[in-house]
Amino acid sequence: MTMFFADLVGRTDEDRRAFETHPVVLDAVAHGMTLERYRALLLELYHVVWHFNPVCAAAASRMGTPALEPQQAVRHFLYEHMHEETGHETWVLNDLEAIGVPPATARAHGPNVHTLSLNGYNYWAADRRHPCSALGMLYALEVVASVYGGPFAAAIREALLLDGDHGVSFIASHATMDAKHMADLRQVLNQVRDEAAQAAIVESVRVNFHHFTRIVEGV
Amino acid sequence: MSTSITSPASSKVSEGTIAPPAPPAPPPAPPPAVGVAGLLGRPYRTIRLEWTSDLRLLRVRMCVRPIQCYSLAAMGELKQMLDDISANPGLVRHFVMTSDVPQVFNFGGDLALFVLLARAGDIESLELYGKRCVDLVWWMENAANLGIHTTVLAQGDTLGGGLESVLPFHKIIFERGAQAGFPEALFNLFPGMGAWDFTIRRAGFAVANEMILSGHLYTAEELHNRRLVDVIAEPGEGEATLERVVREVDPRHRGTVAALRAQRIAAPVRHESLMQIVELWADSAMGLTDRDLRLMERLARAQARKAGGADEGAVEEIKRLELETAWGSDRRSGVERRTVAGGDRRARG
Repeated sequence: MTMFFADLVGRTDEDRRAFETHPVVLDAVAHGMTLERYRALLLELYHVVWHFNPVCAAAASRMGTPALEPQQAVRHFLYEHMHEETGHETWVLNDLEAIGVPPATARAHGPNVHTLSLNGYNYWAADRRHPCSALGMLYALEVVASVYGGPFAAAIREALLLDGDHGVSFIASHATMDAKHMADLRQVLNQVRDEAAQAAIVESVRVNFHHFTRIVEGV
Repeated sequence: MSTSITSPASSKVSEGTIAPPAPPAPPPAPPPAVGVAGLLGRPYRTIRLEWTSDLRLLRVRMCVRPIQCYSLAAMGELKQMLDDISANPGLVRHFVMTSDVPQVFNFGGDLALFVLLARAGDIESLELYGKRCVDLVWWMENAANLGIHTTVLAQGDTLGGGLESVLPFHKIIFERGAQAGFPEALFNLFPGMGAWDFTIRRAGFAVANEMILSGHLYTAEELHNRRLVDVIAEPGEGEATLERVVREVDPRHRGTVAALRAQRIAAPVRHESLMQIVELWADSAMGLTDRDLRLMERLARAQARKAGGADEGAVEEIKRLELETAWGSDRRSGVERRTVAGGDRRARG
């Protein structure tokens, strides 16, 4: 029997490739972005990252009761993951400041409809579809970070002549850090046996890739 | 070729519409197609099929856009198409494969998928991917048993798994200017889906050793000199050469196919060997360091540049990697690199 992680990779591969091969993403990975577009992307990313832990918390809060908790392993995984991600929105603020956007401006920025759609879906899915859908959000965003983050950070450095990780620390660090996260995520996904949970995770991966593509396209 | 019928399939890439959640269990395999209409009637997205009735020739045009590689979807569609051919014995006499992507035959494996699976430590999925590739080359290896003569035309870059997929064909045509090789050695891996077995059979052990262990790229002429390529076509004359080769074989089809069956008996490639190598390949991929994966990402980025219309792509990036290796840009030893990079993914379970 195929493990769920392998199944998930196969069932969402075309969604990953739709992100990867979108002309705007392809161009961003190949050639980087203008400063203006990179600023716009980080401003949207700030709002994605800010809501990451609250979505995980919402999902964890709906995973059973003290008497019955079929997803205890997932709940504990989310706690650990939230701990590791704590404060990462500040990294995005630091990168924005490095490229000329003061923190106050970043905090006051209103996210675009694609970011609102992504965050809105993730809260709704954790609340109404299935709490395990948060794992789909994690999978999609960590694939984006660990597979495409490194080349994208390199392209941005080259395009904007940035020094080291100055201005790309969030993306560059997640490119390597999320490699370990991916291995941990694989282990926890392989423990998800419930078919409704699996279906919700697949849906969440597809929706997250879709909206994230629109976010990159939109800037 | 004359009197061609084209499949209704479109190469258009879907724009990411979100359907309801997929059902938990994979759908049952569709029933086999019946006849030419059935064969051409499937709604493929990564391949286009053409039928030439006077030759009973099925031509497959690969069009995995914008980056031509063996994605999971492409392999699924190829497998479906080959199953359909097998289910219609005697229908196809000639099987031809070409690429619809200018200057690229095939970049081989889906590098982003490899990076994903290696970083996740998912040896099971890597093995599964490798075994799906072996299914395809194994079908090609046994095509003569179905009475089918196979011909492939490469008019551009043919890298890694792209070259592996070419080698089991009965007749291999390269346009002058096309380049090919197994670059996997440059990022501490090796080609695991038939490169050893098929290169040894076509060109001998020394050539296989040289090509696989060096990671060098070769011109069409160099491949021809090493007997890996049967026919060289001048640039822009690949199509005419393909037609000539097929029409030369056609009158002697029965005898040629019988001889090729005998050839496979005399110099067999064993399925067991292919499968064992895939397992070894997947296991080796688990040992890739972050540095190795970053090199793989550089190639993926170069592919993206070429897909975006740049003149330079993966081939030029491979040459740069070769130069960097030769000049010792990374002077740390392999042991140091492993230690710094955090090492083997097998330990992560």
